[in-house]
Amino acid sequence: MTTLRPFTCDDMYRFNNVNLDPLTETYGLSFYMQYLAHWPEYFQVAESASGEIMGYIMGKAEGIAENWHGHVTALTVSPDYRRLGLAATLMNFLEEVSEKKRAYFVDLFVRVSNNVAIKMYSNLGYIVYRTILEYYSGDPDEDAYDMRKALSRDVTRKSVVPLSHPVRIEEVD
Amino acid sequence: MSKHVQNTDTSVLERRLRPIYDWLDIGNNKKALQECDKVLKKTPNCHCAKALKALTLLRMGREHDTNVILDNLTKEKPVEEATLQAMALCYREMQQLDKICKLYEIAVKLNPSNEELHTHLFMSYVRISDFKAQQLTAMALYKQKPKNPYYCWNVMSIVLQATRGEGANDPIKRSLLLNLAERMMQKLIDDNKMDAEQEVQLYIIVLDLQQKYDRILDVLNGCLSQKLQCSNIPNMKLSFLKKLGKWQQVNILCKSILNECFDKWDIWKDYVNSVFELSDMGVNGDSTGDQESDVDTYDNTAEKCHEFICGIIESGAENSFLLRGPYLARFELCSKLQEKNIKTEDILGDKIELFIEYFRKFGHKPCCVFDLRIYLKLLDAEQKSELATKLIKEVGIGSTSVPQSAEQMQRHIGALQLSRLCGGHRNLSTEHLRALVTALTLHYQHGYQSYGKDLPSTDIGPSDNYAILAAHILYDLSRKEDGENSLIAALALLESLLKNSPSNFHAKLLALKFYHILGCGKEANSTYYSLDIKHLQLDSLGYIHCGRLATTGLYSLCAIHFDSTLKFFSSNFKDSTDHLTFSYKFGSFMKLDEFMDFREKMNNSLHYTTVVVDKIMMSLIECSTLDGLYNTDISFKENKIEWEKLRDNRDLRVYVSWEPEFSENLIEDSDEIKKLFQQDLNFLKLRTHMLWSINAGLQVLKSVDGTRKKNIENMKNILKDWKDLEDEIRKTDISPISEELVSYPLRSRLHSFLDVPYRSIVSSLLHFFESLTTEDIETTEQKCKLAGEELETLGQMLEETLSGNCSYFREKRKGVELAVNAVEVVCIACVVCIMSNELVKPTSQTKKSKKKQPMESKLKEFVNIINEIRCQIIKIALVVEKWCGEVNEKDLINMLESLNLGSDSPILFKNICMSYASTNKEIQGLLSNKLKMLEDRLKSVCVP
Repeated sequence: MTTLRPFTCDDMYRFNNVNLDPLTETYGLSFYMQYLAHWPEYFQVAESASGEIMGYIMGKAEGIAENWHGHVTALTVSPDYRRLGLAATLMNFLEEVSEKKRAYFVDLFVRVSNNVAIKMYSNLGYIVYRTILEYYSGDPDEDAYDMRKALSRDVTRKSVVPLSHPVRIEEVD
Repeated sequence: MSKHVQNTDTSVLERRLRPIYDWLDIGNNKKALQECDKVLKKTPNCHCAKALKALTLLRMGREHDTNVILDNLTKEKPVEEATLQAMALCYREMQQLDKICKLYEIAVKLNPSNEELHTHLFMSYVRISDFKAQQLTAMALYKQKPKNPYYCWNVMSIVLQATRGEGANDPIKRSLLLNLAERMMQKLIDDNKMDAEQEVQLYIIVLDLQQKYDRILDVLNGCLSQKLQCSNIPNMKLSFLKKLGKWQQVNILCKSILNECFDKWDIWKDYVNSVFELSDMGVNGDSTGDQESDVDTYDNTAEKCHEFICGIIESGAENSFLLRGPYLARFELCSKLQEKNIKTEDILGDKIELFIEYFRKFGHKPCCVFDLRIYLKLLDAEQKSELATKLIKEVGIGSTSVPQSAEQMQRHIGALQLSRLCGGHRNLSTEHLRALVTALTLHYQHGYQSYGKDLPSTDIGPSDNYAILAAHILYDLSRKEDGENSLIAALALLESLLKNSPSNFHAKLLALKFYHILGCGKEANSTYYSLDIKHLQLDSLGYIHCGRLATTGLYSLCAIHFDSTLKFFSSNFKDSTDHLTFSYKFGSFMKLDEFMDFREKMNNSLHYTTVVVDKIMMSLIECSTLDGLYNTDISFKENKIEWEKLRDNRDLRVYVSWEPEFSENLIEDSDEIKKLFQQDLNFLKLRTHMLWSINAGLQVLKSVDGTRKKNIENMKNILKDWKDLEDEIRKTDISPISEELVSYPLRSRLHSFLDVPYRSIVSSLLHFFESLTTEDIETTEQKCKLAGEELETLGQMLEETLSGNCSYFREKRKGVELAVNAVEVVCIACVVCIMSNELVKPTSQTKKSKKKQPMESKLKEFVNIINEIRCQIIKIALVVEKWCGEVNEKDLINMLESLNLGSDSPILFKNICMSYASTNKEIQGLLSNKLKMLEDRLKSVCVP
């Protein structure tokens, strides 16, 4: 049971219980502020009955013509609130906003090693559209899957025909 | 010059300038400078090259040269975009934001039709929050290019004048301005020009500020609402209906939302609340016979409310997915009934049963405890204890059995946590608590072996919470016995947990805290690094480590952490004005107020200001020459700190806990935390006064004759302010905050500060220093004697306190904090010596032979002071050395063995001792440097 509300600046002072999780990145302030200013409707937080931050989603809309799409920049759920369908609720929200914006599809990047996330996104109807080589820097660099789900505007589901070859970061638009 | 020629010029120039940008981008300033000079040689009047040179020099730390170039360039009235941008960058770096305004003001005057320049001018006003100038610029811009965003910038600037500008303290002004803003938005609608979602949002903001909620609802129900493509209109309606007290509509709207989706908790709360508002109003439910469908009737009694909840639960039962919303709504209903002193049993049955039922349904999820804890307030002490017993029984795990599944284990953990929340661990005997710890440790190990072994290293282990709970109980034990063995046992347990679950941040946070309680800064530091704390966390979580480090004597670590914290704040202070401009750029006016508040909150962080002062103190401590002193900027915000604006930005809730006190109430609202903040603030005030007084002394030294007198006066005033402040603070509640609960942070640094004779020593030394500026030998002798006496108390105090019960770990921290403070005092004494030395330099006065006599006497007194400080340093060094070596190992090994943690304990114990040793080493190093410095000074003044 969730209160879904727009993410506010002050939430950054309170999201530590979510962000200290090793798979959740804490970004520089300007990154969050950029999203809050540009796509406030895409940045939502799920709060528990006791007022704790259970998780949040951060996204944006971009691209031109048939590439106009919603993008999931970050999705995270606190360890205490996993397996409650929260990620699905948050993703659903982002998809709805993208529908309203008449986007063709929603996409996201995920580490190829993050099996839990990949499985979850698959269950939500996302497919691996392509592999992006060495997308995540580190030691060693790691590839990313670009996962996609078509929205209603993409009647022919053209956006989710998987590419047969992996691409490099430079080729990603 | 024809246009064609100009264009060619531009492209040639662009090509020439390109390398400068490239070098700047990769941070090679030297190459960039060479490239600048090359371009300027060919085209000496190239504005952009000059601006880029200014920027390059700034990055090389040559701020003065930058300012010279910029000043000259400004006189030439540059207008090209690239030049202006480079200049603006310089001003931004140097935080001279008003100069960016001036720059674009001139450019716009010369180029009044340039949209881009107007925009930059507008944004430059945004950066300095000049709302009036913003408004005028936006208006001029709109006249130039009639685009809606510019129109809205104008309106928003008017709104800000009303809420944060001149209207903030003038209700008439405020209402005039808001009225103007409203009329402007109305005109946009009348002209049929309102188009974007952001524009409608701005209109709603303007109406909201005037409390015209009816009109907002008209907007939300009318055709303009179609433009609110991405807003949650039902939620918006709900919030304004609530403000208007239209509870019937609130009730009906909530019900319709909940029928669609019954897991929305905010809506459930609004629904239940509206039921009671309606019943208070005495609106008769039966009179609504004219309502057509079921959904459109409203509920105005607890019975109807319960019926609605049950209806949802039944319809939900058809879905296999269990949703907690309606179940928890019953607790909300119960809580409302109880608030109104209405019997709950008739409608909801036995309260305890309500809890048990919820636990049966959701107990296998960790969130169950979070859900129920806020409603434990419904039970009295007796019922709580009954609930605790029943829950444990419900889980079915006795003292001799273990969970048979991961799910049962989670239920067991949940029941234990709830039992603690019910106060179940209070009033237990020490033996009982010890037994509980042993049982929990065994459960943890069993759980790890059975269900936790094959998990990815990034997961938190399913049985980890047993160990966390055990660590909390060990903390309780450490309070009861007033011993510290339990704390070490807790650390051993947490460290062994972290081997299995290397990413359990709860365990890390707790270990970090325990290390600090024991005064082990070095171990705390390793744990801290493993948390990978960065960016804004440096503020919200600064208190867990950085804020404690200054008490550990680990100076090299302090330097690292202070620097990264200050770097974060200073760069974000600069960036935060950009964030405001984003908001205009994208039209997210709804976020603007929030952005401005956030900026204020961050810039007024108490932690930040404390670290600034700590950092300056560090420079003073390390300072050993007059040049060093002159190069240290200690004039920190002289008398300009707005104390009342400083904010407590700690995220205290990052620590999980199951204290009955905070089952429902938030720890940050507790009296203890308010007290702690006040004490921290007072500590900062005292320390800042110390800094100011040293700075004032330095000003005395720098000045001559006429101004010197004024500076002496100023120094004496600051010393008096410091004394008055200290007297005042001593009258307030200066008892340390409670250490009873594990969730409380460590006590304020105020206490140890007040325990050390900072003021009497610094002030008597400064008086001595001041006496050296006069010819009055008698006063000098007198002041020297006084200062010597004050200094003597320092070593005595430390010796008495530290030679007491220091072998106990828990006393170690208090001991080290006291020692570090004493070291700080002698280091400041050394600083005053350096200053005094300047006044008694033998060489400077040798020509005037008749003044030789007083100089010699002054020298004698100066030597006395130096010797007294040396004496104290030697004493402190001895005490600290001794303090470090004393560790009491008794009982510890047995305790750890009883927890099955025996194998790792020697390493832990060694690490703890090593942490003390590094503190000792750093302090000894610092003190021996000081001794050497003083001896050098002695030699230099005693040259025959």
